[in-house]
Amino acid sequence: MIEGLLELARRRANGGADALERRVERTALAFEAGRLKAAGVTEEAGANLRVLHRGRVGIAGTTNVGVGDVGAQHAVPLLERALASAELGEEIALAFPSTAKLPRVDTYVARAADAPLDRLIQIGQFLLQRLAREGCQVNVAIEREVGETRVANTAGAEGTYRSTGVAVSADIWRIAGDDVLAIGEVVEGSDLPSDDALEAVVQSITTRLDHALRIVTPPEGALPVVFTPAGLSAVLLPVTQGLSGKAVLQGISPLANRVGERVFDAGVSLTDDPLAPGRTASRPLDDECVPSRVTCLVQGGGVQRFIYDLETAARAKTESTGHGQRGIFGKPVPAYTNLIVGEARVPGPGSRVPGELGGGLLREVNDGLLVDDLIGVGQGNVIGGAFSHPVALAYRIERGEISGRVKDAAVAGNVYELLKRIGGLGNDARWIGARFAPSLLLEGVAVARR
Amino acid sequence: MIDRLTAALQGSRADFTEIRVEQSWSSAVTMRGRRLEAATASEDQGGFVRALNRGSGWGTASFTSLDQLEAMVARADELSRAVRLERPIRLADVPPQQADRVPDLDGDVRGVSLAEKKRLIEAYNGEMLAVSDRIVDTLATYRDEVSEYWYANSEGALLHEVRPEVTLSGTAIARRDGTIEKGLESIGLRRGWHSVQGKAAGFRAVAERAVRLLDAPTVRGGTYPVVLDPELAGVFIHEAFGHLSEADFVYENPQAREMMTLGRRFGKPVLNVGDNGAASGLRGTLPFDDEGTPTQDTALIREGILVGRLHSRETAAAMSERPTGNARAISFRHPPIVRMTNTYIGNGRGTFADLIRDIKLGVYACGAFGGQTMLENFSFTAAYGHMIRDGQVTELVKDVVLAGNLFQTLDRIDHIAGDFRWNQMGGGCGKGGQYPLPVTEGAPHVRIEAALIGGDVPA
Repeated sequence: MIEGLLELARRRANGGADALERRVERTALAFEAGRLKAAGVTEEAGANLRVLHRGRVGIAGTTNVGVGDVGAQHAVPLLERALASAELGEEIALAFPSTAKLPRVDTYVARAADAPLDRLIQIGQFLLQRLAREGCQVNVAIEREVGETRVANTAGAEGTYRSTGVAVSADIWRIAGDDVLAIGEVVEGSDLPSDDALEAVVQSITTRLDHALRIVTPPEGALPVVFTPAGLSAVLLPVTQGLSGKAVLQGISPLANRVGERVFDAGVSLTDDPLAPGRTASRPLDDECVPSRVTCLVQGGGVQRFIYDLETAARAKTESTGHGQRGIFGKPVPAYTNLIVGEARVPGPGSRVPGELGGGLLREVNDGLLVDDLIGVGQGNVIGGAFSHPVALAYRIERGEISGRVKDAAVAGNVYELLKRIGGLGNDARWIGARFAPSLLLEGVAVARR
Repeated sequence: MIDRLTAALQGSRADFTEIRVEQSWSSAVTMRGRRLEAATASEDQGGFVRALNRGSGWGTASFTSLDQLEAMVARADELSRAVRLERPIRLADVPPQQADRVPDLDGDVRGVSLAEKKRLIEAYNGEMLAVSDRIVDTLATYRDEVSEYWYANSEGALLHEVRPEVTLSGTAIARRDGTIEKGLESIGLRRGWHSVQGKAAGFRAVAERAVRLLDAPTVRGGTYPVVLDPELAGVFIHEAFGHLSEADFVYENPQAREMMTLGRRFGKPVLNVGDNGAASGLRGTLPFDDEGTPTQDTALIREGILVGRLHSRETAAAMSERPTGNARAISFRHPPIVRMTNTYIGNGRGTFADLIRDIKLGVYACGAFGGQTMLENFSFTAAYGHMIRDGQVTELVKDVVLAGNLFQTLDRIDHIAGDFRWNQMGGGCGKGGQYPLPVTEGAPHVRIEAALIGGDVPA
């Protein structure tokens, strides 16, 4: 594996080195318009090397690693490129972590890794059958990934883990005249989805589709808005960007210098949990050999910590929080693993059957919106907290109930203002990719229609 | 390599087999603020096999170990046979091409040291930092790539190409107290080292704009006559209309086919839209797509009427239309899907001044921070804007977000100037998990009679 590479690097780079090797085998099925259309496999391997030479950092990556090993004929050119990169690099007081005990995390499920193609096809057929509707097109995609990651450094730290990931996504398209409606759902985890989880996908899509058939006029003004676990992205993105140690170092985070201060409503808590069982973002150590641990970012509305990788930590004169993430070609960057919104308890591996839409928060709303998907999240000047997005999928709430789908409406506001006082968290917390969150009710969101 | 591909194809049991192999060298140097963020040189290589059998679906295999080529051909065939289909997949005929295309590399980037690349981008980054002490952060990136590319299929196509690419991008962040603004520009070319020299003025302009935006008011939300500059008009036509003209969106869906029926009116007679993968010297330009189909200029809207769409061999056969050379993959890691190349709004008549002359109160929206379309709704964030008052361009405004319904908005384009230009931007297009695909957009100044501008939402 990468031992040979590091042994070579030890002799040439006087400050040491670390390396990551990843091998992935992916199986993908695409069901289009109600039938299986394509099956594919991907076999990928690559190595990323970082050297520290004369106080300067250099990086190089390659997919030219041969079969089974980073052979010497591949290792030497990779090291040369990393050293050339280090010649240009700036001086950083980077310290590679030494040996440490790693936490136990379940990242590999044998029955997911070994599931034959027919088993995966069966999952897709089940969803197609259950979602079939007159006048609608159903697409399903299934992806199963089996990976092995090895990361090690010249200070003696190392870790190897196998992982599995299964993502099943389904979407239903309904086009009536010029009205295009698309509703999707994804279930993801290290194991094959349970029957309950698949049933939850069906229920989630059909509930939202049924409510969407009736189109109503959007309300207007400063109104209460319920953001579903999926619709929450626009609200969370500025906060997670602001909690990155990198943004703090760049001087662009509105949360810099506010650790310990209560910035948000007492109901707002955010935790990063790389140890959550059964999740594909979980791992025993990060991509820089730092052991994984739970990081409390915001507790009871107060800012607790920012996330750091080795380099940003060195620059900020603090410790890495174990958030180094690296691909085959670039250098490590700080990145979240599993983000838990609300109470910092470790949720179970499966997706629960979704409760009612809005998680019980609709009752509080006399006239407002339920937002499930927005257009353009991530565009523009995100980190400042201001957002303005047309809705992709949203419903009007009247007298505590959903009255129909709204089109041609936009929501706007400033996340830092809106999160000072929240209307409540729903009882419908669930996983959406690497995020576990409930619905969230915010008061005074600007709703405009056109 | 050609011999290996030919031998692997001969060993395939599938009715149709195609193989792509890529070997690429790339380097990137990024400056952030006064620091070097990273300088890296990378090597990437791999292949993609796609197999199709009668009565079956597609089987595909992607791999980084080229020693596995024969095994992967067998694997793709096996997967194809595991996908049983009642309605078969057909491929429209394309005469198999044999070609060897090595373009002018315009200063092969592989012969330039990483240190020289660093000096270049460091100088450009310095231009941004020198503009004002209000510039608190910058991001300047130089990136290049040379890919050697082979394509072969069991019908006899054999292609070898060298695909060069070089991009520069600059972001400047200006800050005063709690106000943070940014400027952003990029250049992307299918050329080499010589083409990215002498670009200092562009980087200065980015930082100057970020500083000026600190004093600019947020545009007041509402409905206005809006003039798009060629950059935003290009992004608009790509995002809002281009994706709907990709045939994989409609070919399996009767309702979508109806919505996109050829002959339907989409705009006023001033509106002409097309996609030209054969245009010379652009980022979206290639001699062949990733199914070996020659690229071409495809008319999509002519005088306001929908006249065409973009196809792969599969979608063309399914709709009894002709392949247009738009099946593209971002790399050997992905299958080819229907994509745009260089998408444009055709030239109109007159000047920019003619467009704004009779506007009493309107918005001139310029540049693009980003855009997203969801079905018939879109949202674009302009980099900046100016108010138009009594036929004149006046004060700078910020947070200009253009949102609307595609059909309404296309129909409200009432005037197109005669100042067409291609926007040689970096970045790229994303679809189906494949990002960034090099594309280009082009347009003249375009006027929309009435469009919703988000921004300051009245409480």
